[in-house]
Amino acid sequence: MTRSAPVAVIDLPALGSAAVAAGLTVLAAGCWPETDADTAVKPLAGFIESTFSPLLAETAGRALGRRPGPAAPDRVTAIVIATALGDVTSAAHVARAVDLGQRVGPLLFFQSVPNAVAGYLAVRWQLTGPIACVGGLGAGLDIAAALIEDADADEVLVVWVGLGVTEDDGDRAAAVVVTS
Amino acid sequence: MADRPAVAAPRPARSGPGAAVLAGAAVASGYGRGTEALLAGVLSGRPAFSSVRRFDVTARRTGVAATMAGSPALLTEVTTVVGDACDEAGLSAGDRARSPLFLAIHTHPAMARAAAADRPRFSPDAFAAAVAERCGLAGAGLRCYTSACVAASTAIADAAAMISRGRADRVIVAGGYLVEPDQFALFDAGRTLADDGRVRPFSAGRRGLLLGDGVGAVVIETAEQAKARRAPVLARLAGWGRTGDAYHPCQPRPDGHGLARAISAALQRAGLAPGDLGYVNAHGSGTRHSDLAEANALRLALGDAAATTPVSSTKSLHGQVLEASGVVELIVTVLAVGKGMLPVNAGFLGPDDGCRLNLVLGEPLAATPEYAMSLNAAFGGANTALVIGRS
Repeated sequence: MTRSAPVAVIDLPALGSAAVAAGLTVLAAGCWPETDADTAVKPLAGFIESTFSPLLAETAGRALGRRPGPAAPDRVTAIVIATALGDVTSAAHVARAVDLGQRVGPLLFFQSVPNAVAGYLAVRWQLTGPIACVGGLGAGLDIAAALIEDADADEVLVVWVGLGVTEDDGDRAAAVVVTS
Repeated sequence: MADRPAVAAPRPARSGPGAAVLAGAAVASGYGRGTEALLAGVLSGRPAFSSVRRFDVTARRTGVAATMAGSPALLTEVTTVVGDACDEAGLSAGDRARSPLFLAIHTHPAMARAAAADRPRFSPDAFAAAVAERCGLAGAGLRCYTSACVAASTAIADAAAMISRGRADRVIVAGGYLVEPDQFALFDAGRTLADDGRVRPFSAGRRGLLLGDGVGAVVIETAEQAKARRAPVLARLAGWGRTGDAYHPCQPRPDGHGLARAISAALQRAGLAPGDLGYVNAHGSGTRHSDLAEANALRLALGDAAATTPVSSTKSLHGQVLEASGVVELIVTVLAVGKGMLPVNAGFLGPDDGCRLNLVLGEPLAATPEYAMSLNAAFGGANTALVIGRS
């Protein structure tokens, strides 16, 4: 029933180019991995079993921490997550547990939607703008541009995350903070 | 002004000059398929909850949800409501082929159990593409939203923003959730399901939420497009707002300030004062913290008008339909306003001092409000507010 191509891997140059093509200005950027030292993303308290949320938080944090200059006190930053499969590791873990009649841990409930890690970022970086999660990067950038144009946000954190599909694939993520 | 809001929108919430209208709607819920079944169900005041027979719930703290009969397939149900909404709007094959789909779902139903190497074939976007293909909708511009309980309402707000700016003439927004074992297990693990088998929003003694089947679709387009086809306009999408709490990954900000900003932004876009609202279809999950935060948000944003504006959460009747909440509850709001009967806030046991609102209790309230609002909130502190105006 599906007709889609395999999930594309988005690297930082591709994300930056797509943002500019969407009419946005890139204020800051970050990705995973950035250097050979990026071998294992550090755990994120409250999130288990999957690298999705730690990877997203680490990559987004790199971009947010590189924003230039002091922030205006009333700056509103929106969060847009673009991820083709989302946290497929957690979803598969829950499905296995359900099928085997095993107990599902409560922490898995909290991380069952990408909003949870978006909420973590919002608290950590005091991001008070809208939160959206979509499957495609193009959609995410269009949403970012519209939020800025309509004054729902001054800037938007756009994060792309792709977990490795097989054990041979690495997890990858890229993030930009954009404005008009 | 007596109904001056306590929290103003922090900045001018802008939109384009165009007007967005709803020209078609279709739905399936625990009350069955069709808008008539949903409207009759919510106006009956009898919740659609019953024992879950679709899968084994013996290990769960509760075995109740608002489900349709049998084990419907999400692709079939979403395809059906999208087609029905397009039919109601009188869209030709050519109209449909130019209309993108914004779909709100949790994920592709087959993804979690697919072999690892096959999972890319089962992405949410692939599911949305399959719906679009079956319904003859545009391949370009397709979006799939997975932002939990604000997924569909965010899609509706985004569609309205695009139409107001002239970036689209029409968008089909749909959402779907059918009660299944994985989310049921997760909500049970999170101890959020009401173990007394009832959802009691804003009530003393409320014990949590219950899941429900919900699949809905709306045709959102310019007023000119609808007029050109002489399509019946169900409502105007007058305003929208979305914000974040920046308070906690999973819990709402207790003072309601984040949701209040969304409400204020939606009112501002609609050019309304709080007292102009004649009904609020609340998020009203029935959980302790969320209902308190929402009541605070309504009092902050509406000021004195919060004491008189009728409020109900129809989750007490059709259940929590997760990613589809925004579109199903907007349809409920449009149907209720069109009928001139506001549904009850069911399951109410008695007042909670922290949740004092003008709840619709006992039986539906006869009223013909010019404007009504639908609220949603989600994990991450994400908030949305949608304002409709009578057609």
